[in-house]
Amino acid sequence: MKFCFITFRSVTFAQSGQRSLKRAGIDTVLRRTPKGLEQRGCGYCLQLRESAALQAVDQLRRSQIEFGKLYRWQQDGSGEEWPV
Amino acid sequence: MIYLDNGATSFPKPEPVRRAMASAMVSCGNPGRGGYPAAMEAVQRVYGCRETAAELFDCRPEQVVLTSSCTHGLNMAIRTLINPGDRVVISGFEHNAVTRPLHGLGAQVTVAGRRLFDPEDTLQQWEKALRQGVDAAVFTHVSNVFGYILPVAEMAALCREHGVPFIVDAAQSAGSMPVSLGEWGADFIAMPGHKGLLGPMGTGLLLCGRLPKPFMSGGTGSESQNQDMPDFLPDRGEPGTPNVAGIAGLAAGIGTVRRLGLSRIALREHREAARCAEDLKKLGFTVFSGPNQGGTVSFLPYMDCEEAARILAEHGIAVRAGLHCAPLAHESAGTLETGTVRVSFGPDANSDQTRAFLQAARQLL
Repeated sequence: MKFCFITFRSVTFAQSGQRSLKRAGIDTVLRRTPKGLEQRGCGYCLQLRESAALQAVDQLRRSQIEFGKLYRWQQDGSGEEWPV
Repeated sequence: MIYLDNGATSFPKPEPVRRAMASAMVSCGNPGRGGYPAAMEAVQRVYGCRETAAELFDCRPEQVVLTSSCTHGLNMAIRTLINPGDRVVISGFEHNAVTRPLHGLGAQVTVAGRRLFDPEDTLQQWEKALRQGVDAAVFTHVSNVFGYILPVAEMAALCREHGVPFIVDAAQSAGSMPVSLGEWGADFIAMPGHKGLLGPMGTGLLLCGRLPKPFMSGGTGSESQNQDMPDFLPDRGEPGTPNVAGIAGLAAGIGTVRRLGLSRIALREHREAARCAEDLKKLGFTVFSGPNQGGTVSFLPYMDCEEAARILAEHGIAVRAGLHCAPLAHESAGTLETGTVRVSFGPDANSDQTRAFLQAARQLL
């Protein structure tokens, strides 16, 4: 299964995002953002199935929950940005 | 002991609060710093507290800043809105947690509305002060000394109408009366976690309608390479490791309040306070009571108020005497010289408590 990450500026934003996505039927895992993807130091992200990524982004925007970027997960733990 | 000092803190804490704190002590790491299970458990506990508070107070979880006390929250809010020399209007029933920070900042303070249990007068004086021009307003929801419920929704509406930013001190109302960040449109609402919300001491909430000015700076677990405090909520107001066990207890306390129901709590507290006031009057004491009164009653005994509280304690009654950290409220009521004895009911208020208190109060005659 392919995964992607949505990054957030704070753990609280990530948790609000997780709640919102759960209400929309999208399961996610809250985790630390890989260091290489974090531009400003430390952060948290939501890991989810790649197939749900665009729906998730749309849901976050509709819920007005601030998020950072969307990344496709790579086997070595890094990510490739997925512009949305 | 018959505990009637809920205005100071709720006591004893409900069983779910004690259990939540104990379990947090053995299951929670540092929230927002790591990704291992104990850290993530802490993250969930902290967010759970924000979430349940947000549902109770009509705001988003991010708008709930976790503080160490209501005083902490009020200081952060006051230092955000008010600069030295600013003109500030406050009610005649403010606590030192409001008046001391304003004094410390050198604000020009106008006191508006000093008549007890007279919301019409409060609103008239409030509007008059706002018309004269002020930079900010700070007002309490309920007087901690007399239980006077101020017309906060109308005071908030007047502030909005005049474009004046404002702070509400909900120290005595959160957990027993509706408090709404969304409806009131407040810039900030501060409250303790350990009074009506039934949580442990050392906890509090600041509901933020705008970004606070950081009261302290430090690590937040976010944007670590940025040497300014984060420009988003709640991180901006929460440097340092939070009191996770306390926050877990506070979440359980808020859960208990929600299960009991605000209207049921208010009904009990207000009913017993009214009964207590009526019967104290029958015994001949000077009692401060009236319409728009919450679960708190102050009275003047026929002796020094501290001596009266000591005698009541000997008879198993816990009440507080003196100035209750609110000399302004006593000045408004004309009791600055004497102080009062304050009886404050909690969510377990019942007629047995009131009867036992009144029986003991006869010893003061």
